[in-house]
Amino acid sequence: MQNQLELNQIRDLFLAAPESMATRIVAIALSTGLLVLVAWLVRRRRLGEEYTPIWVTITVVMTIISLRLDLLRALTRAVGAWTPSSTIFFLGELFLMAICLNYAVRLSRNSKQLKALAQEAAILRARVDELAARDQ
Amino acid sequence: MGATARDVTVLIPAFNEAERLPAVLAGLYALDDVARVVVVDDGSTDETTRVAKAGGATVLTLPFNQGYGAALQTGYKFALQCDTTLVVQMDADGQHVPADIPRLVDPVRDGEADLVIGSRFVEQTAYQMSGIRNVGRKLFQRLARRSGLDVTDPTSGFQAMNRSVLALYAREFFPSDYPDIDVLLAAHKAGIVIAERSVEMLPETRKSTMHGGLRSIYYVYRLALSLWAGSRVRAS
Repeated sequence: MQNQLELNQIRDLFLAAPESMATRIVAIALSTGLLVLVAWLVRRRRLGEEYTPIWVTITVVMTIISLRLDLLRALTRAVGAWTPSSTIFFLGELFLMAICLNYAVRLSRNSKQLKALAQEAAILRARVDELAARDQ
Repeated sequence: MGATARDVTVLIPAFNEAERLPAVLAGLYALDDVARVVVVDDGSTDETTRVAKAGGATVLTLPFNQGYGAALQTGYKFALQCDTTLVVQMDADGQHVPADIPRLVDPVRDGEADLVIGSRFVEQTAYQMSGIRNVGRKLFQRLARRSGLDVTDPTSGFQAMNRSVLALYAREFFPSDYPDIDVLLAAHKAGIVIAERSVEMLPETRKSTMHGGLRSIYYVYRLALSLWAGSRVRAS
């Protein structure tokens, strides 16, 4: 019981530790940088608009968390983590898994479309060859 | 038995088979049943397309390697667009014996079955399937029986089929890699009548097969997943 209390006290200390302004500035700078990068990639036509919502959402969430660290601490308490940084890593992993699955689904769809196109091209090429042979 | 008619389109998916293809084509054109041979060149890097054309076949050349199932399906789609009523699919490596074709097509011609599988296991033959493939074959055969489908050789690439099968197999569910008992089960559920006839299978001449090594393990895994996921045929 004594050990349990001590652990909870240590956890409270971790959660109550003040975040430095530098941390906050770095987080906001990274969020803004990511948003600018996404916008630049779209403008250069290297990233389709349909792929941007998830990245824009991430930058918005990162910015809100950077401005409202109390929300991050509340979330840390809710998920049972010890430090806000652990919660950020946890959310990051969830995000990466979700985006990988999303891309796997898109890739599967693209593979099917690519197969259908290749089959159509092969059939059309054979038809063209037949027509050319008939004309000769 | 139906009268012999030159009404069979033979479909051969081929990947780098320039060496073996001429003998296969010669054997096919010696048959009275064969009207047309369609070779689907699955992105070969050798002279498969040229050799097949020189051998008198219609050649569908895929721009890049798509897999055995995708190559087969290309042929099904092509056959559907033609007036083809009867298709035989066989491998390009010379393992299937063209003389067995009449035995496969007669039940389809006579309306006894929509799909006839050339089986190596209906009767005792010299063919031996080894290792994990044989275990997988027996396991999946047992699973298929539960759904009312009793086939001894679901992995056979030597089959005869009519247009109703072509129409089904041209749909999106058809796999790009290895169409197998999962596809037969889907056909069975779609009302396709499936039969088997005994055929001879010559020994493999190439060093690696599409079911060799780690691929055998993947083959069993994919089939298990496919059967678990159901027939995969969506009502259209």
